[in-house]
Amino acid sequence: MPPKSILKKTTVVANQPPPATDDRPVNKKHLEVALHHANIIEQRKTAEREVLDSIITLLDFPESPDADPRRPSSSDALRFSQAVAPFQPADYDSLIEERNIAAKCGYALCPRPKRKAPSAARKQFVDTSHGVQIVDKKSLEVWCSDDCARRALYVKVQLNEEPAWLRQGSHGDKIELMVENSEEHHKALPLRLKEPADSKKPADREEEDVAAAWAAHDDALADLAIERGEKPGRLSKANKDLIQDKIRERVAATPPEPPSLPKDTIFQSHMAIEGHIPRSSKSKDENDDDDDGNDAQDWDKHMG
Amino acid sequence: MADDRESYSPNLIRMWRAFRTCKEMCKDRGYEMLEEDYQITLAEFAAKCGREDGDVDRSRMNFSCVPSEEMLRKYTAPPTAKNPDPQPEIGKIWVEFNGDENVGLKQLRDYMQHLVQGSYYNGVMVTTKPMTGMALRLLRGASGIKEGPMGGVEVFVEQELLVNITKHELVPTHVLLSKEEKEQLLKRYRLKETQLPRIQVTDPVAKYYGLRRGQVVKIIRHSETAGRYASYRWAI
Ligand SMILES: [Zn+2]
Repeated sequence: MPPKSILKKTTVVANQPPPATDDRPVNKKHLEVALHHANIIEQRKTAEREVLDSIITLLDFPESPDADPRRPSSSDALRFSQAVAPFQPADYDSLIEERNIAAKCGYALCPRPKRKAPSAARKQFVDTSHGVQIVDKKSLEVWCSDDCARRALYVKVQLNEEPAWLRQGSHGDKIELMVENSEEHHKALPLRLKEPADSKKPADREEEDVAAAWAAHDDALADLAIERGEKPGRLSKANKDLIQDKIRERVAATPPEPPSLPKDTIFQSHMAIEGHIPRSSKSKDENDDDDDGNDAQDWDKHMG
Repeated sequence: MADDRESYSPNLIRMWRAFRTCKEMCKDRGYEMLEEDYQITLAEFAAKCGREDGDVDRSRMNFSCVPSEEMLRKYTAPPTAKNPDPQPEIGKIWVEFNGDENVGLKQLRDYMQHLVQGSYYNGVMVTTKPMTGMALRLLRGASGIKEGPMGGVEVFVEQELLVNITKHELVPTHVLLSKEEKEQLLKRYRLKETQLPRIQVTDPVAKYYGLRRGQVVKIIRHSETAGRYASYRWAI
């Protein structure tokens, strides 16, 4: 007598697509949908891997130990702004977190170590222009200076909330930097300002104007950042504020998921051991395509 | 008896428990391990890893072990025409306790480099708190990637190791099948592996045994009515 299958025949049949002769168009459509989802998952994996690679690169940034975050070299600036362009704000937070763990200033164009709080206390007193303020030790130890905080957050507010793998025409994602040597960068960096209409101006006048316009533009964007809740040196708090404004949009931006049944115990029963479902598998509903509700069968007794 | 618990700091006791669980875990996976090693008393542990101030020096807890003959056999695929002399897919393991407050890409990459340089097959890293999201992302893609060891890196948080979950009476015995045993099983019952019930590699018990995707475990249970019986699960 051949051994019995451990799976109930009925459930196996129920899981299979309808016979091919019935509904060819439907099957084809299913296939397309499945392919579409597979593609999105693939794109997502690739994008996530790229973000990780960029963060690893930016961990050891900038290469020169005496680089100046206010006046970065144009190659550093270009590499940095291109690396973070696909980032979501949360990815950027991860970059800062990882740099901080490596004891570095959170701003990737800064080679200095992060600031150290004067004491080990969880809350710290800090002198500001508004008088003494109490801040978290953690937020104090994110940057080397308030200046770097400002420049780093200026980048963050430009990041797209939408995941890179769902963005349309990602070539539009250009990140501008807050720099004081813009004249060295305006060829490499995206230049938003139009060329002055009067092109007969002497070249140096023109350079000055562009630099001034950039500076004004920088200030305006920095003001915007503050208005949007980004405060220098208060990253995590500010981050929350920023995201809350956009929560509805982000919901729409989550990757589509295949429909799933409610998280029912029967549904999870293939994970059960003696009727008990280990905790880690309860919350996950992947691989739920097998409905073998009754697997605890003694089909092994011949095996010894 | 010999362990007068009140004379040790709570953290030292905690780490002693995590240490014992790690040793037991390695023994249960099939590495060579002396009984006195995994049954280390609190007093012995304090003498080995305790600091002057009563806390623990985690760097003294790190250890490595090598697979037993039985384990090597189990992790060696049966020879085929294409591969007449298959090598075991297991080797020396390095277990490290990291005491850093935050563990991220930096520590993980240093750790992986250490494993590669020491020609370890794989590693277990025990941290005080969960690693950063990016470190975990690196880990998910780490096995088989050039920068990491061949067998990858597993991470545990100290908290997970305070008790040995497999010693709980409700957790049945899990026995890993070799590739050969797995093939025999499938042949005998004319099954495809996808037809077997599954166990996730992230399941705490699967994690304890270091199950890899594609492996099959035999689960042996004891029942008042049916006596001893077994079932099989395919790790995904
Ligand atoms: Zn800085």
